[in-house]
Amino acid sequence: MRAMVLLSLRNIRKNKIRFGLTTFAVLLGVSFVVASFVLSDGLRSSLNTMIGTGFENVDVQVRAESDLDEIAFTDRQIDESVADILVDIDGVAAVNPNTDSMSVTPLNGNGEPLGSMMSPVVAVSWDGSEIGALRLVDGRVPGPGEFVLDQATAERENMVIGQSYDVVGSRGPEPFELVGINRFGEEGTLGDFGMASFQLAELQRLDESEGLVRYIDVAGEPGVGAEVLASRIDAALPSGVEAVAQEALVSELEDELSGIISIFGNVLLAFALVAVFVSTFIIGNTFNILLGQRVRQLSLLRALGASSRQIRFGALFEALVIGLVASIVGLAGGVGLALGLRWIMDLMGLSLPTIDIIINARTIILALVVGIGVTLVASLSPARRAASISPMAGMRAGFRFGSGEGTKRTIIAIVLAVIGAAGIAYGLFGGSDNTALLFSVLGLGAVCAFVAVSMFSPLFSSPSASFLGLPLEHLPGNKITGHMARKNAAKNNKRTASTAAGLMIGLALIAMASVVATSLKSSFRAEMESTVVSDYFVTASNQSSFSGRVGEQVAALPEVESVYSVRYGNARIGGEQHGVTAAEIELLDELLDVGLVSGDPTASPDATDLLLQSDVAEELGVAVGDTVPVDFAAGGTVTMTVSGIYENSFLVGDYMIDLSAWESYFTDQNDATLSIKLADGVTLEEAGEALQPLAAAFPQLEFETNAEFQERVEGQLDTLLIIINVFLGLAIVIALLGITNTMALSVLERTREIGLMRAIGMTRRQTRSLVRLEAGVVSVFGALLGVAVGIIFGWFAVLAIPGEMIDRLTIPYLSLAIYVVIAAVAGLVAASFPARRASRLNILDSINEM
Amino acid sequence: MGTLEDRSTRDSIFPTTGNSAAMAATATGITKRYGEGNTEVLALDHIDVGFIASKLTAIMGPSGSGKSTLLHCVAGLDELTEGEVRIGQTSISGLSDQALTLLRRERLGFIFQSFNLVPTLTAEENILLPLLLGGEKPDREWEQRVISSLGLDDRLHHHPDELSGGQQQRVAVARALVSKPEIIFADEPTGNLDSSAGAEVLGFLRRAVDDFDQTVVMVTHDPAAASYADTVIFLRDGRLVDTLENPTTELVLDRIRALEG
Repeated sequence: MRAMVLLSLRNIRKNKIRFGLTTFAVLLGVSFVVASFVLSDGLRSSLNTMIGTGFENVDVQVRAESDLDEIAFTDRQIDESVADILVDIDGVAAVNPNTDSMSVTPLNGNGEPLGSMMSPVVAVSWDGSEIGALRLVDGRVPGPGEFVLDQATAERENMVIGQSYDVVGSRGPEPFELVGINRFGEEGTLGDFGMASFQLAELQRLDESEGLVRYIDVAGEPGVGAEVLASRIDAALPSGVEAVAQEALVSELEDELSGIISIFGNVLLAFALVAVFVSTFIIGNTFNILLGQRVRQLSLLRALGASSRQIRFGALFEALVIGLVASIVGLAGGVGLALGLRWIMDLMGLSLPTIDIIINARTIILALVVGIGVTLVASLSPARRAASISPMAGMRAGFRFGSGEGTKRTIIAIVLAVIGAAGIAYGLFGGSDNTALLFSVLGLGAVCAFVAVSMFSPLFSSPSASFLGLPLEHLPGNKITGHMARKNAAKNNKRTASTAAGLMIGLALIAMASVVATSLKSSFRAEMESTVVSDYFVTASNQSSFSGRVGEQVAALPEVESVYSVRYGNARIGGEQHGVTAAEIELLDELLDVGLVSGDPTASPDATDLLLQSDVAEELGVAVGDTVPVDFAAGGTVTMTVSGIYENSFLVGDYMIDLSAWESYFTDQNDATLSIKLADGVTLEEAGEALQPLAAAFPQLEFETNAEFQERVEGQLDTLLIIINVFLGLAIVIALLGITNTMALSVLERTREIGLMRAIGMTRRQTRSLVRLEAGVVSVFGALLGVAVGIIFGWFAVLAIPGEMIDRLTIPYLSLAIYVVIAAVAGLVAASFPARRASRLNILDSINEM
Repeated sequence: MGTLEDRSTRDSIFPTTGNSAAMAATATGITKRYGEGNTEVLALDHIDVGFIASKLTAIMGPSGSGKSTLLHCVAGLDELTEGEVRIGQTSISGLSDQALTLLRRERLGFIFQSFNLVPTLTAEENILLPLLLGGEKPDREWEQRVISSLGLDDRLHHHPDELSGGQQQRVAVARALVSKPEIIFADEPTGNLDSSAGAEVLGFLRRAVDDFDQTVVMVTHDPAAASYADTVIFLRDGRLVDTLENPTTELVLDRIRALEG
């Protein structure tokens, strides 16, 4: 074995470039996997530190009691007077009532609202107390008419102490003086998460929540345990209010955030696994190449007495070395990638705390497992073939690796196709609640399907390549090279198919994402046009809610016929938490067509009316007139009556209540969206002018026409699609590497032929064309096949996505065609390196090569 | 006939009747060195030679004599360390790869010992290959004549793997002829063929010279093959050591024995 090890190492050293390319393909996949874990671990750790800091001095927090989950900014508020009870409790050292508001927005020196959806600026109350994490850095604690800004935001927005800035509350903008700078914790980083601090009474005045606070922080006397204190306080509290000890607070928040981080990490991991999957194809191909090159050497070894087992060992050992190197470099690469991704997220304005880079044992082991595992798996089949070379076989000129047993492959392919289809069907349509399970099954199904497609593709790759290569026969000035490129691409169906496989997978996923996104957009557009009757929308640009006073002022305009408030919240219905939408049911017909199926809810609606989407009503087994108990966070359990059932959940979701219900059961009286119907004869321009003063007063709100609103949402979808495509681009890069590798093989196998043609008069440029055109044909084949598969996958996905988001299949033919063209061009470029090497082959050496 | 030593002067290499206008190709002081220092090999050692137009010249010598190297250098397939080669009036020594390639395509023809044909092309496509590479229209009448003379009419649409060795070489000959080159360079054209197939190919080459005024330069180790030539030149250790006009197989054999003796 030692001889084999030596030989393997020597081989690697000699073929550094070829091995290097293979290693690179593996390490890209490994890097991506590592990066996803490094990032999510780091994010979790940073956020946990942040949470710890935030609750450092808070032993107990008193807040509204509810078992509905909401993160951070809830609609639960409690009476400020509860704080008075707390002061007298034994063991309480300090009491600090606090509130925060998303509907109070400071403006910077240019009148622009601070904060955006990615990096929000929250208005909080603050009196400089030791409880809580904010620390004064400069200036003083805010009093009436004053506010303090966090250091990072102040620097970014160029706001200085002593200046006056507008702060927009419920009633519009008011001037406030910036009197201080503070920061979160000792290090002061909360990412770009900004805070504007106000005196409690001022903040309450600004968002019309006088006498209410969201939570009361309590510091205990030294020596009093937080748990003990919490139960003591709890006993003294009125119903509906609870006291939570620090530990519970911290773990509660950690758990919630951990869930989100896991999703983020899993998404990255999914992309990483795609990259790894594509790598496997590439590596398998490359190993076939490398071993094919050394057929003579291997058969010589066999002639000299090396056993099949030793040959196989040698091949696997080389794979092991590659895998090991790829894993180690991939580990470093993954860290680099994580840093890069973090930087990109900063650029995109995602507010995140500085993410630590965490490389723990699990990540290192995973890198090794993925890198070595993938390489070994990919090398199994080539190693077996290498071991089967007989001593004399390799000596014959023109020896080629046999192609695998036909029927066995076909059976495996069919089985995989069936498993794949079943997996995908279950993942998309299976009713399980365990989303992790569904996604895993979906992913595995997709993998099986892809492998099956690539195993079937040799059946039609030759005729396809031949067909696709037809234009090459007519290339001006290059007819014979075009002809030969076409013939070469069509000649070896297995080679063509496996080269194209990587590109096929990448393009299938991109095509699927495009189909889904385009279907989403067109569904949205169609719904907007048919369902929505209103002319104007008002939304908050940071996706939060805003004071109802805005709606009042809009309604007062003569140009406006009616204003339709929409509010979104949560409630528990039928045992599970769901989103509920509140609106004025009476005006329903005028502004939105929800496709009423039964009931007449617009006739005198009241606070106990509940409207359900038809599928939901069926699940609950209720009809119009039945009662349903609904739990609200602040309002408790209310017995509501089903007053209507509707089909179309676009914009309103599956559960609707009347605005009066919201007013009774929710404490926050802010709107999420205003739908505006203009009076007859009022043009959009006239309405825009009339709304202008309001828009100026509340710059954090978007006043958009139907069309503008549509455009903005579609733009967001487009951005999402671009991000997805960028990630999938990694898989494409790996696929292109595969093409480079395979073309290099192709050149190697045809060294004599190229030498001969060069001798007879083929120029270097013609040689390069020969190689590149062949790669072009193969790339187009892979791309077209991928797009076809992607359209099918996209169709399934569209079927599976709930009807409220997608109701039609739209295929973006132009985009897909462009993707195919790009893939073809990329294939041409990928072949450049082997093309150049081919053109520089020494003619005599090539002709004389045996 | 003198002894070997008598004939080893440079002047006798150039035929007495020749002047440079009748030379299809000339090589002056050509030297080819491989490697460096201890491993240096002098494949060609200051050779002066001319190849007469419309004649069949054979190059012979023991293995390692440099005969193939000489052919390759004159044909523009290999680079000289020193000296100059002219094809007709054109000096090829300073030409770029592009120019050399075009020269080979338009003015030269090649027949190799084996692997003459591109496997993915048909016989006809192989025959027309130099013209196709240049995007030129073939002279159909000439092409037909060549194909018929070589008896390839019914093999045109076959691929090389469907042809016998002899047939493949005939296709190679046809390719060399169809483009009407100034010189055809053949490197051991009958080396892989049995004697009857070989004789066939040599016969065609001979007829090409006689009937069509084609110039052919051929490397061979086979005295019988050399007997088809008008002139045989002998190499040893990279030097031109002998020539023979109007050879017969026996004469050639004698010279070889003398060389190796």
